[in-house]
Amino acid sequence: MSVVPKETVEVIAQSIGITNLLPEAALMLAPDVEYRVREIMQEAIKCMRHSKRTTLTASDVDGALNLRNVEPIYGFASGAPFRFRKAIGHRDLFYTDDREVDFKEVIEAPLPKAPLDTEIVCHWLAIEGVQPAIPENAPLEVIRAPAENKPHEQKDGPLIDIRLPVKHVLSRELQLYFQKIAELAMSKSNSALFKEALVSLASDSGLHPLVPYFTNFIADEVSRGLNDFQLLFNLMHTVRSLLQNPHIHIEPYLHQLMPSVVTCLVSRKLGNRFADNHWELRDFTANLVALICKRYGTVYITLQSRLTKTLINALLDPKKALTQHYGAIQGLTALGHNVVRLLIVPNLEPYLRLLEPELDAEKQKNQTKSYEAWRVYGALLRATGLCIHDRLKIFPPLPSPSPSFLHKGKGKIINTEPQKRKLSVDSSDNRSPQKRLTTKDGPDGVQSQDHTGAAPMEVDNPVENDNQPQNSAQPSSSEQTSDANESESRNGMVKESGRGRAITMKAILDQIWKDDLDSGRLW
Amino acid sequence: MDPEQINEFVVGYLKKKGFSSAAKDLEDFHHQNNGSSLSPIDYHNDPELTKLIRSFSQQEDDPTRYRECYSKLRSWAYNSLDLYKHELLRVMYPVFIHCYMDLVGKGHTQEARAFFNSFRKDHEMVHLRDLQKLEGVLAPSHLEEMEFARSLRKSKVNIKICQYSYDLLLQYLHRTESTLMLGIINEHINFQVYSGQPTSSSDDIEAVTIVGSFQDTANHINQKEIQWGLLEDSLEDRLEKTGGLLSDSEKGQGESKDDADDSKKRSTETGKQGSSIKKLKKDKAGNATAKVARLETSTVPPTPRVKPELALPVMSTDVEQSILEDLRNRVQLSSVAMPSVSFYTFVNTHNGLNCASISHDGSLVAGGFSDSSIKVWDMAKIGQTGSGALQGENDTNDPTIAPNGRRNYTLLLGHSGPVYSATFSPPGDFVLSSSADTTIRLWSTQLNANLVCYKGHNYPVWDVQFSPFGHYFASCSHDRTARIWSMDRIQPLRIMAGHLSDVDCVQWHPNCNYIATGSSDKTVRLWDVQTGECVRIFIGHRSMVLSLAMSPDGRYMSSGDEDGTIMMWDLSTARCITPLMGHNSCVWSLAYSGEGSLLASGSADCTVKLWDVTSSTKSTKAEEKNVSSNRLRSLRTFPTKSTPVHALRFSRRNLLFAAGAISKPAS
Repeated sequence: MSVVPKETVEVIAQSIGITNLLPEAALMLAPDVEYRVREIMQEAIKCMRHSKRTTLTASDVDGALNLRNVEPIYGFASGAPFRFRKAIGHRDLFYTDDREVDFKEVIEAPLPKAPLDTEIVCHWLAIEGVQPAIPENAPLEVIRAPAENKPHEQKDGPLIDIRLPVKHVLSRELQLYFQKIAELAMSKSNSALFKEALVSLASDSGLHPLVPYFTNFIADEVSRGLNDFQLLFNLMHTVRSLLQNPHIHIEPYLHQLMPSVVTCLVSRKLGNRFADNHWELRDFTANLVALICKRYGTVYITLQSRLTKTLINALLDPKKALTQHYGAIQGLTALGHNVVRLLIVPNLEPYLRLLEPELDAEKQKNQTKSYEAWRVYGALLRATGLCIHDRLKIFPPLPSPSPSFLHKGKGKIINTEPQKRKLSVDSSDNRSPQKRLTTKDGPDGVQSQDHTGAAPMEVDNPVENDNQPQNSAQPSSSEQTSDANESESRNGMVKESGRGRAITMKAILDQIWKDDLDSGRLW
Repeated sequence: MDPEQINEFVVGYLKKKGFSSAAKDLEDFHHQNNGSSLSPIDYHNDPELTKLIRSFSQQEDDPTRYRECYSKLRSWAYNSLDLYKHELLRVMYPVFIHCYMDLVGKGHTQEARAFFNSFRKDHEMVHLRDLQKLEGVLAPSHLEEMEFARSLRKSKVNIKICQYSYDLLLQYLHRTESTLMLGIINEHINFQVYSGQPTSSSDDIEAVTIVGSFQDTANHINQKEIQWGLLEDSLEDRLEKTGGLLSDSEKGQGESKDDADDSKKRSTETGKQGSSIKKLKKDKAGNATAKVARLETSTVPPTPRVKPELALPVMSTDVEQSILEDLRNRVQLSSVAMPSVSFYTFVNTHNGLNCASISHDGSLVAGGFSDSSIKVWDMAKIGQTGSGALQGENDTNDPTIAPNGRRNYTLLLGHSGPVYSATFSPPGDFVLSSSADTTIRLWSTQLNANLVCYKGHNYPVWDVQFSPFGHYFASCSHDRTARIWSMDRIQPLRIMAGHLSDVDCVQWHPNCNYIATGSSDKTVRLWDVQTGECVRIFIGHRSMVLSLAMSPDGRYMSSGDEDGTIMMWDLSTARCITPLMGHNSCVWSLAYSGEGSLLASGSADCTVKLWDVTSSTKSTKAEEKNVSSNRLRSLRTFPTKSTPVHALRFSRRNLLFAAGAISKPAS
């Protein structure tokens, strides 16, 4: 039967005061109601099409009623589309919200702003068939995978001549722009002009066609110019600007960029002069790496794990130079506290044993080596310190560390070590001594840590959706995990700084400790 | 079978059918002959006859039988041989809709609805819009009321079917004795049986449209002769005469002489098609000897010339000069030389922009709004364009529009309903607008005032278009007519009636002797302006036709519809050269480039597409046999920033102007 049930007709009849409507009459009327409604809609759609719209509005229906010489329905004329609400309990029944309006409110309300007047803006949609990349135009499509086009072209029939691979046409302006930027980057100066160029790189739209050229340029120059500190620094600035540009889709080129960036972080030697402050470059690059991980970690799930693997390998290889260790530490630090806690802190003790002879001024005669060692030591301190500080913020009942703690720690860092070791030994029975890590099965150890490490990382950065679904299923437990996890490093400190309170805290910590062990069994 | 029983059947049948007197007579007759037992026909021993009588005696209008018979026929058709299947399936759709309408006509609303819903899926892909219309038909009175249903009931559908499929179908119907289906098929389908193998399913465009009675008339009408050639002594001609020698210095000496010869001939000839063919041959001979310097023109025969049937307005010399100047400076476009596109974006329209129009030189833009207003912008004044081409093309316009307060447009008020269309006269001195208030108004862009109000249509006027030479204009309306007017009379000169539904768009042929109209009945018609007769019907669209464009040589026409399909038609044969698929929403606007090599289309899907026209027209000449397989090449797609494209216009110098209102993406 008709989609309009006869009950509807009865209700309508009642609403206009007809009480004695025969059920047969209602039954007869129902199909006609449906037909009339469809007729009105058909005319309304015509009105909509002639108003060059694709959404039907109340005015279209009014127009249709007008065409049929029916009085329009008043009270629905409004420019905005209706907000329909779903009737609860019905799948496809909607109604419009009809609030009662208080006169007082309407009168007292301030006058609305006058609507802006219509204007015409003119721009070039295309110049001789090529769309200029200006903000008025739709953003250029990301270069499409060729697979999508293939079946389409085959369908096109015999008339279509087979198109040759698309030639990437760069406009003259873009070529000039690229040359200019490349020159500035190569000029090794830190001029104001270069800064302007970086701002332009970071904000201008329409640079997308240049991205492959820039990535190529950066990769080439980094591999060629490892001795040129200023050049490297300029290149890293360029990378940063490219990353910042909201109009550029850099994802497809990340795999080309990453090696050069990581090189600038953990290379043995950056720059050839003594005066080159390569530490600064490493710090800058570390932040850059963190930025990339944060932005594209979701797209490339393996990005961060691969990166951390590279860095931890560099750190745990005693044959690598101290500068490389420094870069690795800075890179890991920039990636977040969880990375530090899971990858650096456990290796801290064996590593410090390695570093200790270098730090000692009497044993290490080489001034440079000694300086480097202290630099690495400082980086380590900063990493662990920041990590601990972060944990403390999350955990309010614990006493905040006295500001003197870090100073104190500096003085007797070696004293604290035994305590730490004790903890780390009994907390993780699978933790291998330093020797195993440094020998060939190093990657294995890293792998296992990577897995346990991935979970708490998520807590800090929900963006980094790792490949561990169990974790997202029970975030609360992982929260505790992270809390408890770090308690191992804190335990020693708590005992040291606030002995008095340690007893009350001990109960809490024990509980957390237990939770940690429990949750640890999950994976 | 017992004769008594038979008599009972017969009497019962007659009574049921309302032949009560006949039934009575028969009864009387039997009473009289009761003893004699003399039966005229030996129907006792004829099993065929018995069966037949039985089937008649069955409840004739039993609604469930439709369903049974149809589903049997359907499953038979689906299980038939692959080679003939598509032909047999083609029969299913008319049978389906007529079954439905039979049911509705007999008052079985509920059964009809159930029947419709259970088989609707089969036909949705091709006939969705028809089904949506028919779905609402629920009472016998609706069948009468609805134009579409009525035309379906009255007319027969032509179906081309090969001999073998036809035999199969008949065999099936006889074997199963489904008289009901046979009746429907006999009543509503007209088979055109041909011998040989079945054709492939895709090439038969008519198969998808059931247009009712005028299928035959359409074929008949399309036999008429039309003269699609350009007007003799047009400006383009004059340009060839005067400017051809000036600009095309690279032409060979001999050929330019040829050219001069040609144009001399053209001016002396009467412009009949026959003579033009003679000329064509000469041309070809000339070209064969000459160097092939001209790429396109050498392969395409020159367009024949015709005489104007209307008295055309005289153009002032300075206007003519400026047009000639523009034509001389025209950029030659082709598949390798793309045009530049200048886009006018309307902002802050508050969803009120119904139409946009761009003057021939691109300097004036008019917008028609749903609040009855028309706003005209002088783009040269606004100064944002600033390009040399614009300034140059602009000087035909008298810059008299004074800056009106802080508004930078001219507001034209006068209509009392949404403005659905606006059009500029060729020199840009007048604007015509059509509105839902059933009137057309003429405005002067120099006086900024309403000059004339043309009343004649009875319903909203959907579209109005100035003729290519001005003075005359055509309008079309919801009242299913198109009308021709001249500026100096308030009564229409011609009324073109014949469309079965709203006439949605209208376009002039370049020689002014014809207009084309696109309608909601999914057809495009071509009308002779002088006689008011319909001279062509173009059938093939699957939804309402929204836009039309004529190629500058007058040979082809393009039409765009609600679904995003564009069809390119050959005017002389009334056949679709090629459907252009690509848009996925309404095609609001179409435009040919100045020399006809490119077609631009603007759509609600926020893109402007360019199509290569020459490649397809060439190939049709080269290989007529394979008309359906070739396609126009889509050359470029220019996406806009969420701005549906309402209007397109190629300037005389082949700069493409586009206009649209930016729409906030629905949140």
